[in-house]
Amino acid sequence: MVEFKDVSVTYSSGVDALNKVNLKINDGDFAFVVGSSGAGKSTLIKLILKEINATSGTVMVNGFNLSKLRRGRIPSLRRTIGVVFQDFRLIPTMTVYENVAFVLRVIDAPSKYIRSRVPYVISLVGLQDKVKAYPTELSGGEQQRVALARALVNDPQLIIADEPTGNIDPALSYEIVDLLRSINECGTTVLMVTHEHDLVRYFGGRIININHGSIAFDEVIGGAAENEN
Amino acid sequence: MKISSARYLVGQGMKSIWRNRMMSFASFCIILVSLLMVGVSVLATINLNRIIGGIEDQSEAAVVIKDGTDSGSIDALKAQIEQIPNIAEVRFYSKDEAWENMKADMNDEEQDLFRYADENPLPDTFRVTVKDIRQMADTTMLIGTLENVDSVKSPTQFADVLISIKNIIMIIMTAVIAALIVVCLIIISNTTRASVFSRRKEINIMKYVGATNSFIRIPFFIEGMVVGILAAAAALFLTKFAYESVYGIFKNDMSLWNILGVNDLYPFEDMFVKVTAAYLIAGAVIGALGTSMSAGKHLKV
Repeated sequence: MVEFKDVSVTYSSGVDALNKVNLKINDGDFAFVVGSSGAGKSTLIKLILKEINATSGTVMVNGFNLSKLRRGRIPSLRRTIGVVFQDFRLIPTMTVYENVAFVLRVIDAPSKYIRSRVPYVISLVGLQDKVKAYPTELSGGEQQRVALARALVNDPQLIIADEPTGNIDPALSYEIVDLLRSINECGTTVLMVTHEHDLVRYFGGRIININHGSIAFDEVIGGAAENEN
Repeated sequence: MKISSARYLVGQGMKSIWRNRMMSFASFCIILVSLLMVGVSVLATINLNRIIGGIEDQSEAAVVIKDGTDSGSIDALKAQIEQIPNIAEVRFYSKDEAWENMKADMNDEEQDLFRYADENPLPDTFRVTVKDIRQMADTTMLIGTLENVDSVKSPTQFADVLISIKNIIMIIMTAVIAALIVVCLIIISNTTRASVFSRRKEINIMKYVGATNSFIRIPFFIEGMVVGILAAAAALFLTKFAYESVYGIFKNDMSLWNILGVNDLYPFEDMFVKVTAAYLIAGAVIGALGTSMSAGKHLKV
């Protein structure tokens, strides 16, 4: 669960990035976060990952009160969150398997578990034939699926997808969102930041629109996909 | 930490040497050159000290015994001199021995001058070497007060010059070594920083998936240590080769130095263990700390 109570962020440059934001994302939710550039979307994500601290207000993420969280406990918080970035951020010197397994090594998971869990998650994103490939040998869509597998492998409570479709073909974007939705159906909370309105209109669901550092709109809308079904 | 995780981290450190081979090679070269510069300077200083020490050891004072002193008194005087704390060795040099040696050193013309001399004009003496050449003046003054001592001739001026040379060399070499260490640390730190900087994205990703700082640092630490040890091994090999070549030249072609009172250089075998340990420890510490500290700069994500 993610909860913002009266959260404001003012950067040292004097820019007010968020202004008294109140927001609650329950376990199992799927929400799109939309807004123009500079609206505060990235600040929202940085707060959840505790890359930055709120100037005022309280941020709760998966049971962690971030304003009271010590630096040494940040890894514990991040292990409950899977992150997918627009630029994939895969380690180029590692194979698909190693990129995904790496997350489990970080949490000191048993080797036996790693050997069974990693191929399973890679097969969930449909890349079972590419386990030995390096990121540079994959297409943009495939790289993003590896990033999804990496975000999933640790069975996180929350997945944050920051513009996950920004660097891939529009046709493949739908595939990625489909994958995220099927992950959500298994109980994982998903927060997807995007500015692709077509996608949002197509899938529908909870839409959080941030404008000038404030929540301008937070509603559930029906999507074209539902009508198709 | 589990054994499997430790093994994984060590493996990652080893693998990343190869994955980042250009930067690893740059670090290797910098550490190698740094170790060589400092190592050679230290060895040169140690050997200069030994050479000067050799000259010091050969600095003798001549104690002239009063003419007509009987052998019993000469023995008593020798015992008295030996009891002075700074005395290393006392050797009796009889007037006959001195006369024979002097004649042997003369050319024919000089020998003609003394051919008809019926009396040996030289006195009996003691040749005295001291433990600490800096106290030569005090020691000879003390000997001069003893009974049956006519006079004491000592190279106190020469001793002062030697001490000055030694002090100047020590100051210069200490300054050179200290400056070299500082320069090397700066270069090494910049090289490792460049190596780590090229992998800052990797570090960033590790932080996002919840890796602790030590989990990120350990492979860098292992990598730096291994590169440092390899550089130390290469430095040791090159130093041994160069040193033994110089040592051979001194031994074979400059053996005259010994006659002049200059000791040989230290044989490399005598210093092998110490030089090996110094190189390996310095290489490992510089490599490991340099790399892991540079990695630390990118950990605040």
